[in-house]
Amino acid sequence: MKNALWNNIFQGWNSQESETVLTLKQVPIFKGFTDKEFQDLEKLFHRRAYDAGEFVFKNRAPGEGMYIIMKGAVKITIGTRENNEQILAELSEGSFFGELALFDDDPRSANAIATVQSDLLGFFTADLMTLNDRNPQMGNKILLNLGGVLGERLRGTNQLLLESQSN
Amino acid sequence: MYQSPESKQNNLLYLSRIYRIIVGLLFVGFLSLVWPYISNVVLILVFAFLFTTVLLKSVDSIERRINNRGLSVLIVTVGLLAGIGLFIGSFISEISQQATDFSNRIDQDTLTAEFSKLGAKISATLPEGMATGSGDFSAALSGFIQIVIENLAALAGVIGNFVLNAAMILIFTIILLAEYHHFKKVLVGFFSNKYFEVGLGLIYNIEKSVSSYLRGQFLAAASVAVMSLVGLTILNFTGANLTLTVFIGIIAGLANLIPLVGPFVGMIPAILIAFMNNIGNDVAMAHQLFGVVPSPFYVLDIVVMFIIVQQIEGNLITPTLVGKSVGIHPMMVMISLIIGGTLMGPLGMLFAVPATGILKVIIHEIMFVRRNAHLL
Repeated sequence: MKNALWNNIFQGWNSQESETVLTLKQVPIFKGFTDKEFQDLEKLFHRRAYDAGEFVFKNRAPGEGMYIIMKGAVKITIGTRENNEQILAELSEGSFFGELALFDDDPRSANAIATVQSDLLGFFTADLMTLNDRNPQMGNKILLNLGGVLGERLRGTNQLLLESQSN
Repeated sequence: MYQSPESKQNNLLYLSRIYRIIVGLLFVGFLSLVWPYISNVVLILVFAFLFTTVLLKSVDSIERRINNRGLSVLIVTVGLLAGIGLFIGSFISEISQQATDFSNRIDQDTLTAEFSKLGAKISATLPEGMATGSGDFSAALSGFIQIVIENLAALAGVIGNFVLNAAMILIFTIILLAEYHHFKKVLVGFFSNKYFEVGLGLIYNIEKSVSSYLRGQFLAAASVAVMSLVGLTILNFTGANLTLTVFIGIIAGLANLIPLVGPFVGMIPAILIAFMNNIGNDVAMAHQLFGVVPSPFYVLDIVVMFIIVQQIEGNLITPTLVGKSVGIHPMMVMISLIIGGTLMGPLGMLFAVPATGILKVIIHEIMFVRRNAHLL
């Protein structure tokens, strides 16, 4: 009884991190961010809910930014369900996709489809531009980390290419 | 009667189009009914949005340094108010000084005599048919002044209304500046998943188009103010005896924000000051532009100077600063100005071009969505 009373009075003093911040903390793009920076970052993200089977984006559609899976799962495919659907990747909570759209104006190179009821966090070019205007340090951190992630993926692709050539 | 599925589909499409047109017409009708009641609020919001767009970059860049949004908004608002206050304060003080000097220097008889002299000069230069009636120039001007005095009470009401609206615009601008990014996020939240990214792109493009247009316009206005100041100083070297040159320059710059009409409005204060300062001066009355064209009180010199400033601004500065930020055809600019002017007077003219720019971006995005509908 006493605890509940004090908790009500001091609610928010030891507030727990939001679900968004907890998700963002799992993502390598935001490595090295302080708690305050995560709170600022949270304001820029758009939380969206998708039904199972709903397209997040379609192949060749104009791309505006990246998504992080907060809850649920997403598959990355090419082709359509009726015509040679090929699954490139199946992503789960904490994974991110579509980040290339932050760097170029090219259309999407694959479909992204929610496989179950999912909550995604969207982060878009316009938001990155705004962040660069308001807090360039944070913007630079994101760009550097994104560069690191893309470099890591390129190295992985090179490795796969070498392996396939040697076989 | 048998109908094929295709023909059924076509009929449905046709009905849906008719339904959309009816809904659209009903909406326009409803809007025209409620417009008199909401026009003031809409105007205040539009002004606040435009001020926010202009000031947003400054707030964001201060926030970048001090890392506090609220304080950044406060600094920009106080700075803006101080600037406006300083301008209006010194303008009133200078203009009252000017008026005192003018009234000390001139009595009613001299003024009437000067009006008659000027009226006679104008009638002499006009063709035979047009000259009738202009002989009574002084009487007409005195009548006009009488009407102005009689309407002072109405003017006080208008000023009161203006101050109230200005205060509301300021409050809305402060709120928008502080919460701009949050409001934008809330607005984006209304789009369905299908149109989410397109909606985000639309808002971003509108923001970019309006902000670059407004910033370009303000820079062009500043350049007109500086060039007018230089031009007026040059005219003073030739003996034009113009005072309040800084204020005339600033007013000319602000008037320049209204396309086509603004540049002519900007000349009026300079001509009035030239008239007030040179009345009773026979040399100024007999002045000739380039020693050939009669230009009493340097009026023609001032007009030519402003035309030169407008030409430099229109052909050299604006294309460089504003570039193709809005990219509207000149004919469309004129049409939008006429519509804006008819709907909302000078304010409508001020907002006509950016509003057309916004419409153009929206139409462009809708066409883009229609073309790529299968990809959404």
